[in-house]
Amino acid sequence: MSTHAASVSTPLVAPASPASSANKALVIGAAGLALTAIGVVVSSDAHGVAMSYLVGVTYWTAITIGMLMLTLIHHIVDASWSVVIRRQWEHWLAAFKWLFVLFLPLLVFAWLKPGFVWPWMDLNHELHGHGTVGTDVLYQKKAGFLNLNMFTGMTLAFFGIWVWVSARLRKASFAQDADGDVKWTFMNRKTAAFGLPLGALTLTFAAIYWVKSLEYHWFSTMYGVWFFANCVRGALSISVLIMLWLWARGDYKGVLNTNHLYSAGQLVFAFTVFWAYVTFSQYFLIWNANVPEETFWYNLRELNHDGTTNQWKWVGMLILFGHFFVPFLYLLSYKHKVVHAKVRPIVIWILGIILVDMCYNILPVLKDEHGDSLPFLSVNLVWVLTSVAGVGGVCVWAYLRSFPSTKLIPIRDPRIGESLTHHE
Amino acid sequence: MAAQPYGLIATFDTVPDIYHAAEQVRDAGYRNWDCITPLPIHGLDKAMGVKRSIVPRISLAGGITGFCTGMSMIWWTGAYDYKLIVGGKPLFSPMFAFPISYELTILFTAFATIGGMFFLNGLPMHYHPVLKYKEIRRGMDDQMFIVIEARDPRFNLANTKALLAQAGGKNIKELEA
Repeated sequence: MSTHAASVSTPLVAPASPASSANKALVIGAAGLALTAIGVVVSSDAHGVAMSYLVGVTYWTAITIGMLMLTLIHHIVDASWSVVIRRQWEHWLAAFKWLFVLFLPLLVFAWLKPGFVWPWMDLNHELHGHGTVGTDVLYQKKAGFLNLNMFTGMTLAFFGIWVWVSARLRKASFAQDADGDVKWTFMNRKTAAFGLPLGALTLTFAAIYWVKSLEYHWFSTMYGVWFFANCVRGALSISVLIMLWLWARGDYKGVLNTNHLYSAGQLVFAFTVFWAYVTFSQYFLIWNANVPEETFWYNLRELNHDGTTNQWKWVGMLILFGHFFVPFLYLLSYKHKVVHAKVRPIVIWILGIILVDMCYNILPVLKDEHGDSLPFLSVNLVWVLTSVAGVGGVCVWAYLRSFPSTKLIPIRDPRIGESLTHHE
Repeated sequence: MAAQPYGLIATFDTVPDIYHAAEQVRDAGYRNWDCITPLPIHGLDKAMGVKRSIVPRISLAGGITGFCTGMSMIWWTGAYDYKLIVGGKPLFSPMFAFPISYELTILFTAFATIGGMFFLNGLPMHYHPVLKYKEIRRGMDDQMFIVIEARDPRFNLANTKALLAQAGGKNIKELEA
């Protein structure tokens, strides 16, 4: 197969270094992080800034987890069409260690000032209407799971596993470029075999610890799956943007064909439906059972204590239509999946709406004196944007820094020939 | 009794031969013609100028029908024909109608897709004039054919024959209907 690959007229040398783009991304990242840090100091609601930062970190970590899961799924099913895009996923995985560094401030705050980010860490935190966290029997029963040591240990384990699995995938793939040995393919398949369950468990627990525990009274068996759907959907959207970018730059000319975009677009479509299925199921089961322990989570996102509706109801509607109906109907069309100018806006839209979904899951934990959620349209959105730019800038920088270190595509992958001639 | 003419058939030996011949027939403006090959040839649809199928539109129509059927069925049975309160829920809500609606969307989409495909491709077809041509069985083995039908507005026995010959077709024969 390597002879086949070698005969294909593609740029087999490392592509030109996008160093200046990487520097730009780093500047944007540093500026976003600096502004967020200033926000913590100057804002009257530092807790709100911390929540906004949690949105930013969770958002980009989710996308990076999505890249990891896509790479693992690619290997476990021995996929062929995605070989040409797999290398870009591997480059993106370089972001994990930086995401860990960016998560550290949250951990440090958790220790220095319990309750500053996750309210349940402060046992003296007042629960609206019924005592404190420490005296709450529902917390006491969950304290074996929800405590600072477990939280810290688990978070370190998540990042440790993600960085380690990513390093294995990258090493095997990059090494194969040099020697073409098929053993690297088998190594990646083994990594995928244990990496997938590890990935599924870690992303589920990460979603539970980082996001769901904000309202620790609540439970939903769909939460990990909901998070996974967003992870992969975000990662696929970024993948499509990378494909379009590399095509526009010229690197992917002769590598990418219409069918690669079609396959990627189909997956974006599939995960649109999957996300809707999971999110609807979560809502529907809670709506149908109508148990107060579960419904309060949605009530907070719809009603104030006096029965008036709050802004989150409309955010929920935006998510219903913007996260599902719009992309679903738009992506039904073949052309909208393969024409560059038509697929670009929808994946950017999806990336935006995933951010809104993260806000919907995290920000309503910020409450006023009546226990009502603070509105969506508030100054916190500014801190969400600085955090997203900050963490995103660092992720893009990590990707672009890894990008010139290897060949554009895994030229000696056993399935590269199939991938280059991918057809419907 | 002289049989009705069906069209002309030409034989090709290799994939590139029939691919380029198809391009020439396409560029000559023919519409009622087809290629018979023993294997799928990627890109042949483009060389033939075949547009994307309209089956997806039929599927969409089926899906919309299914969704509306589900919603209206749940509304009609539970909130109109025989009003029934279940589990303290409203007589009708799109929430509990959604699972049924979406199942019916899938079901009707599948029916419309399968039905639309059979409607458009005319299968099952028990007889086709090329079956009278003895060599056609090699179209399942090692040879490829282009058939141009006589009902094509551009069909002209001499000119079409010349076109097929010029495109590299061998063994050009007239087919009876």
